Amino acid sequence: MELIAELANGFMELFKAGADTFAGWVMGIIPLIVVLMTAVSAVIKLIGEERVQRLAQKATTNIITRYTILPILSVLFLGNPMCYSFGRFVEEKHKPAFYDATVSFLHPVTGLFPHANGGELFVYMGIAAGVTALGFPLGSLAVRYFLVGIIVIFIRGFVTEKIYASMKAREQ
Amino acid sequence: MYKSITISKGNGGWGGPLTIMPTDTCNKIVSVTGGGIHPVAAKIAEMTGCQAIDGFVTSVPDHEMLVAVVDCGGTARCGVYPKKKVFTVNLTPVGKVGPLAQFITENLYVSAVTEKTLAYAAEDAVLTSKEGTAVETKKTSSEPKTKAQARAELAAMNAGKKKNIITRLGIGVGGVVNKFYQAGRDTIDMVIKSILPFMAFVSMIIGIIKVSGIGTLIATTISPLASTLPGMLVISVVCSLPFISPVIGPGAVIAQVVGTLLGVEIGLGHIPVQYALPALFAINAQVGGDFVPVGLSLGEAEPETIELGVPAVLYSRIITGPLSVVIAYLFSFGMY
Repeated sequence: MELIAELANGFMELFKAGADTFAGWVMGIIPLIVVLMTAVSAVIKLIGEERVQRLAQKATTNIITRYTILPILSVLFLGNPMCYSFGRFVEEKHKPAFYDATVSFLHPVTGLFPHANGGELFVYMGIAAGVTALGFPLGSLAVRYFLVGIIVIFIRGFVTEKIYASMKAREQ
Repeated sequence: MYKSITISKGNGGWGGPLTIMPTDTCNKIVSVTGGGIHPVAAKIAEMTGCQAIDGFVTSVPDHEMLVAVVDCGGTARCGVYPKKKVFTVNLTPVGKVGPLAQFITENLYVSAVTEKTLAYAAEDAVLTSKEGTAVETKKTSSEPKTKAQARAELAAMNAGKKKNIITRLGIGVGGVVNKFYQAGRDTIDMVIKSILPFMAFVSMIIGIIKVSGIGTLIATTISPLASTLPGMLVISVVCSLPFISPVIGPGAVIAQVVGTLLGVEIGLGHIPVQYALPALFAINAQVGGDFVPVGLSLGEAEPETIELGVPAVLYSRIITGPLSVVIAYLFSFGMY
């Protein structure tokens, strides 16, 4: 009998650690996320998608803005997964590169603007939780993630554009 | 010779049953599952007499797609095809969720489908109408429409009078408040449908890992790998291999779980804290590798662009994946 009770206790113990983690997240992460996401997405709604479209159109002509400004605008204003629809502004031969740049920005954006990809927060949040546990502030990590994200999406856009162009040339 | 079949939901599934019949123009079964044609897609094609197509290799115009077979965990893909009014068969038991949930309806979508839930349609079976949703949305939109009409009438009545500043101010504030309210609703929706379920599932895994001693195993094997630059580069190269990236991409679930595990190790001090930044890129070199055809079609790309675009993105990652880790590593100097 005692053995069974021991086993039951051990079994419950297995999940108590999980329950503590869950409670910590719900109390520590959700309130801030809720308020932050509401504020940012309200501002985005007030500005409106239409007003951004003209800027988006302009950003397509130049190779640097095409893979930095354009993906950032689309991710901030449309979020995952509708951000890819800004692909309609770029030329056919640039579409794969635009996709690569946009999708690669979906996680670097979450440190500062979680509303853009609320369903996949834990790539950043998971690692950020460890930084918080050590008592460091998150601002530095979030800003650097965002900035490196911009550099990386430009490189991805550039490299993918060239690879696509050479594949296309070889095919013809 | 085409045959009509009925696709029903499986255990824990949602939607359907869909009774479908191919036509001469609409007769492709597209498997958007990453890694060839899924057996369920093959079976549907065999039963109906359609052609099964790997959506990653060949792109099909929307109007030729009879059925899209997806294995979406509820992030995006499960809503993309219903939005385009293509019958959607999801292999995972996912209901009306995700950012595009509003487009997922019972007469366009069925989930948890296996080969066992496919059957030839009974002789007197009625084909499922895609337009049902349109009628339904019309119905629901008819109410706001009358409201809008009423408003239009009101506006017409007021047109003669010049609106004073207080009325205009009132309308403006009302609009702003409404947008804030909608933003709040969207946020809570997101928390309940995506964030909380993920927290529940990952905190369970973390709890078990902590208590059962698997944690020590991770601390002695993976942590040393993730605390050196070459180790990080190895992780990113593996994640970006073109035959691996589409498989571990969906919903960023794997990246999120690995991120959380690394976070725990960073918190325990097994991985130096400044490695947080390069780690974010190392574990995510595969991002979106599973979603290329769908994302491109959302950007209105031509089928030929999609065919070459998929390998172009996947090959590019082999270069840009490790490169992003190096850049992040350089940027992590002086962070903490």
